[in-house]
Amino acid sequence: MSTKTILYVEDNELNRKIVRDLLRRTSYRLIEAVDGEAGIATALAERPDLILMDIQLPKISGIEALRVLRSEPTAAATPIIAITSFALSGDQQKAKDAGASAYLAKPYSPFDLLGMIRKLAPED
Amino acid sequence: MGSHHIQTTLGERIARGLLRRSPLGFLVRRVAGMRASVHSKLLGAFLLIALLLIAMGAMSLQTIMSVSRQSRLLDQARERVDASRKIEHAVGVQLNVTRNAVVLRDVAPIEGVLRENTRFTDTLVGLQQAALAGESETISRLRAAEEKLRATVGHIAHLIREGNADEALEVHLTEGAPLFREIATLVTRVVQSEEVGMAELRGNVEAANRRALRLMGGFAVASICLALLLGFVISWSFIIPVREAQAFLGEVAKGNFDATIRVPNRDEFGALAARMNQMSRELHALYDEQRTLNVRLEQASQAKSDFLASMSHELRTPLNAILGFNEMILGEIYGEIPEDLKQPLTDIQNSGRHLLRLINNVLDLSKIEAGHMELALADYAVQDVVASVTTALRPLATQKGLELVAVLPDDIPLAYGDGGRITQCLMNLVGNAVKFTREGRVEIAADLRGDVLHYRVTDTGMGIAEDQLEAVFGEFRQENATIAGQFGGTGLGLSITKKFVEMHGGTIAVESTVGKGSTFFFTLPLRVETVETG
Repeated sequence: MSTKTILYVEDNELNRKIVRDLLRRTSYRLIEAVDGEAGIATALAERPDLILMDIQLPKISGIEALRVLRSEPTAAATPIIAITSFALSGDQQKAKDAGASAYLAKPYSPFDLLGMIRKLAPED
Repeated sequence: MGSHHIQTTLGERIARGLLRRSPLGFLVRRVAGMRASVHSKLLGAFLLIALLLIAMGAMSLQTIMSVSRQSRLLDQARERVDASRKIEHAVGVQLNVTRNAVVLRDVAPIEGVLRENTRFTDTLVGLQQAALAGESETISRLRAAEEKLRATVGHIAHLIREGNADEALEVHLTEGAPLFREIATLVTRVVQSEEVGMAELRGNVEAANRRALRLMGGFAVASICLALLLGFVISWSFIIPVREAQAFLGEVAKGNFDATIRVPNRDEFGALAARMNQMSRELHALYDEQRTLNVRLEQASQAKSDFLASMSHELRTPLNAILGFNEMILGEIYGEIPEDLKQPLTDIQNSGRHLLRLINNVLDLSKIEAGHMELALADYAVQDVVASVTTALRPLATQKGLELVAVLPDDIPLAYGDGGRITQCLMNLVGNAVKFTREGRVEIAADLRGDVLHYRVTDTGMGIAEDQLEAVFGEFRQENATIAGQFGGTGLGLSITKKFVEMHGGTIAVESTVGKGSTFFFTLPLRVETVETG
């Protein structure tokens, strides 16, 4: 039974801790990055099964990081969930245009996120 | 002259031409510039015309009197001529009678004539008294000749009575006849002299008449001209400042406070113009002050919006964590939780969600007010909007025992707008309806009429008092604090809804009966064309 790897790109420590706690009792392996630049580097190096990408990130924005990853052959097909900052702003559309597989508006319910993760990268 | 709105007639154009191109303009300015009240100026003008008329009256009176005097003199002269001729005639009669008496030797007719002739003496005295200067001597000689003739005739009569007829004839021929010829000559001289005098008098009368005519004509023309001139000058000296004032007030009304009114008047109109300028300056100062205030208010409002936006954002980050962790505790990610902790944790979750909604609304509103809100325009399905609202609110409605119904045709074509914001609007309205209704139903209806989508949210709730209907779309306006306390809510939902509807180019309205329920209507263009920002 191979463990699925999830990369979470997020600058806020508390938000990362929520996902960390959420996935603790699952079979997923969580790796983290704190900005867009590190996110791209980690994604290309680790080749995770799913990426959770926050849109508001320091250095390189989540949207920009999405575009970069979609242009890389190794990451072009990886499912990416964009986490937009506010439920109803234009971020969703931007994320979609940049190549996100799905999006979730912050503040999100951790269980909704878990449901979405399980749908895009089912636990083995 | 500034622009004015009075229609210019032909008369007006002529008057303006006169003011520009003739000394009248100068005169008008001089009259306007006179340091005297309007009342004095009018009185002065009337007095001037009245004086002219009085002078004209006096002159004509004088002329009439002179003509009348000349006529009297003429009459007197004519009387004198008549008298002279009568004397001559009488003397001629006397001569004939005397000659006949001498031939017939009868004195009776002579005595009758002599008696008659004594009357002439009085006439001659009167004549002499009234006579012209040069005539007096002639008349004296006439009187002397006449007296002498009478004496001669008396003498002839005496000679006849004594029978001395030859001597009587001799006296008649040598004294009587020459005296008669002298008298005739003198009378002719008097008559000629008088006639010369009369011709002169007649000439004088005619000249006086002509002069009077010229004088009266001259005065009449002068009076009319003066009246017209004064009328023109005075009226324009009043009209010009009135027109200036009108133009000036027009400028002020348009908000041009730099305009000043300048009139040459130093009367009430001048004072009025000075007041108007003062008023304009005051208004200008007030206007500037208000504009500065407005700028400051705008800056303050912007600062408030910026502050609220950043505050909301900053508040949401920790709140996000609180909600996330709490939900995971409730979801027993961290292990089983005691039964008696479940309710307090659920309360934390609900309060946290409420706070989050509040923060989101504040952020929306501050973005709209600051003009930073932009609609994310895309195709959306009206059916999806309605479905997501009913799905989200059905649990609450069911929990309260309310019927939640959506009525809409399934052939509404794909719409264009910010579907998310429209969902938010409908969510606010339906959320309120569910919240404020204790029993009955909440109905969502949508249909397309022409190019316009009509939404309707009807409830059987408590309704809104008529005097509050206008205010419900204001900020932080729940009908009263009690309701807010009882039902919760942000008090911003309707305000935000109204703004989003208007940003889409739609309208929103409400009808309500207290105790029966409320209906909110809003319209949206099926496809938004231009985006109006808050």
